[in-house]
Amino acid sequence: MAASRRTTRRTFLKTGAAGLAALAAPRGFGATPDLKLKKPIKVGCQTILSGPLGGYGEFMRKGAVLAMEEINASGGVGGSPLELNFRDEELKVDVGVKNARYFVDDWGADFLIGIDSSAVALAVGEIMPTLNKILIVTHGATEKFNEDLVYKKHIKQCFRICVPVYQDGIASAFIAKDLPVKKWATISPDYEYGHTSWKMFRATLKRMKPEVEFVGESFAKFGTVDFSSHISKVMGAQPEAIFSTEWGGEAVTMVKQAKLFKVFEQTKAFMIAMGSAMDVLQGLGADYPDGVWASGRYYFGYPDTPQNKKFVETFRKRWQSYPSYVSETSYAALYAIKKAVEKAKTLEIDPVIAALEGLQVDRPAGPCTIRKEDHQAIYAVPWGRIKHDPNFPMPILGDLRVAPTDEYYRKPPFPPVEA
Amino acid sequence: MEPAARSGAGRAAAAAVLCAAVLAVPALFGAFAQYFALNVLLLMLLALSFNLLFGMTGLLSFGHAAFYAAGAYSTALLLRAGAPLFPAVIAGALCAAVLAAVVGAFCVRHTRVYFSMLTLAFGMFVYAIVWKWTDVTGGDDGLVGIPRMRLGLPGPFDLNLAPLRNYYWFAALLVLASAGLLHRLSRSPLGLALRAIRENAERAEFSGIRVRRTIFLAFVVAGAFAGLAGALLAPLEQTVAPTAAHWTKSAEPVMATLIGGPFSFAGPIVGAVVYLGLKEIIVRFTEYWLLVFGLVLLGVVLAFRGGLLGAAEALLSRRPWMSGPRTPAAASPR
Repeated sequence: MAASRRTTRRTFLKTGAAGLAALAAPRGFGATPDLKLKKPIKVGCQTILSGPLGGYGEFMRKGAVLAMEEINASGGVGGSPLELNFRDEELKVDVGVKNARYFVDDWGADFLIGIDSSAVALAVGEIMPTLNKILIVTHGATEKFNEDLVYKKHIKQCFRICVPVYQDGIASAFIAKDLPVKKWATISPDYEYGHTSWKMFRATLKRMKPEVEFVGESFAKFGTVDFSSHISKVMGAQPEAIFSTEWGGEAVTMVKQAKLFKVFEQTKAFMIAMGSAMDVLQGLGADYPDGVWASGRYYFGYPDTPQNKKFVETFRKRWQSYPSYVSETSYAALYAIKKAVEKAKTLEIDPVIAALEGLQVDRPAGPCTIRKEDHQAIYAVPWGRIKHDPNFPMPILGDLRVAPTDEYYRKPPFPPVEA
Repeated sequence: MEPAARSGAGRAAAAAVLCAAVLAVPALFGAFAQYFALNVLLLMLLALSFNLLFGMTGLLSFGHAAFYAAGAYSTALLLRAGAPLFPAVIAGALCAAVLAAVVGAFCVRHTRVYFSMLTLAFGMFVYAIVWKWTDVTGGDDGLVGIPRMRLGLPGPFDLNLAPLRNYYWFAALLVLASAGLLHRLSRSPLGLALRAIRENAERAEFSGIRVRRTIFLAFVVAGAFAGLAGALLAPLEQTVAPTAAHWTKSAEPVMATLIGGPFSFAGPIVGAVVYLGLKEIIVRFTEYWLLVFGLVLLGVVLAFRGGLLGAAEALLSRRPWMSGPRTPAAASPR
């Protein structure tokens, strides 16, 4: 938390000023032509900053601040420095809507980014036509955001730069089909994300490997601290493998308790869709059993490219920590804004939307394309197996596997998931 | 209420200040201020309806969000089905009243902590239904895309409420009218009976007041106005989520009332302004707003017993400030 205090509102303003100062000096490499846009360009970011999941917001903030500092140091966006403002989303719909209204109507935001909760993403997405600014979601994963809001309802102000629930429910099945197990069960969160992921997982796996069986399921409500009843219920059905979409502190608790119940000895495979998030890796540490399959929305060890290595190194230097996936997505969101605005050469909404549609963004997670039809960024995120390496302060992923993006990203016209 | 305001002229002045403030917002400020002012007005109405039970009758309800959510969800469903706004809002309040009648039938049999626990239990019961009944309520995603179009009144009154300013006028007037009604109610024979029950339920029973029936009536009226606040929320946010039914939402009118002072009619009004105003200011300066907000609230509750208005009253009547906790029994009769 000591590191987080470094970036107060004042620091942002200073950085903004530094960006302006940098502009005054003649710059060579990396400088962008001055498009004479409004100065500064304001980006409002809302994320969860309080409560047990506050760590997610910290990571998102760090990624966004890093991108802002880099962009401002090299000439800003079309010559205008970026200014960031953060508000606590609290995972509450009314708070999220209020934050969005505050950012646009009062603070004067040009872009909105962030949002962790799917429900908040949907609610804020719905009012974006009224606010008429561009929203780039960096965490909330519900497929309804791109499939319903953008594709079916044509709310063109909404974009998402992170991989949606397809990573949890569909890419996971591509891994699961190659595992030597047939009987699956789940322990997952009792809300939309948990149910949808499980449904997509079953539908996809059944299609690719018809002999699989789904023998048990237990859904734990938000804020569960005791998973023992869920574990015994599911283990009673004698599954060979467990699929879970528990995340954050709840994933940590679930794994620790599953160890006590010897679940990892009694099953042949264990998959945790959000298990490679930095808070889970750090939270479990040495307690993370080897061989658990885990994924996220980005993993710092993939892809093995100079650009990704540079991002991880800069991030570590700036924040003394490896980046979590929300750090990468918020970082990528600001670079997407930069690229689109410089392509559109204006801050007007329609040209910037047109510039974002089909845009190629070279981000740490690899090159991604923002699909025109549903404004969803398409890029591959690996699944991998937990292993312990003395060179890293936390468990890492080995045996990285990537499903082909054109198979695991659902496509328009988005037929209903049948499971 | 302070002596000045206890006179008719004082009350009229206070009401005039409130109305002027409400009218001034769209004239002086932008869209966010209107939106924020509506949030304050809705909490005001919720807290006023809550205080009908708490300050006036001496019953602490921890489940007020259930009625708020009932109003919000039923209005949202009606609007999504294409109903015009005004009938949908009124129907939302009526649905909340029906729910309050069902819940109240159980709750009014008990007093004190048993009443509070029962309301809390029913509140979380409603929350669980909202969370689980995905087909109707949208589960944790809530109901999104609630349209805000025609008002649905005949002739020239059939305004288009899509612009926030128009909706502001409609909702603000409805809240002010409700506050007026609740104020009238607090001075009616029913209000007197409720206060008699608060002071001494047994004596009230002996003097011919049918205690349970009277409390039940208050419970239903409180539920209806809480439902109206929720009904007005749905078109404002254009989305309704289960947090509207959560106990943390029930805690908001409790906090607002304690800050403003439960023993004067205007207490919840002042409290709602201070509660949301403080939060909005603190959030702008620190990400650790919960900590700062908590400390400020602690200070207010500890330093101003009887709420801000209670303290102001004590100060104006030159009574010693900290003359001990003000219990309902110690409240001055009005």
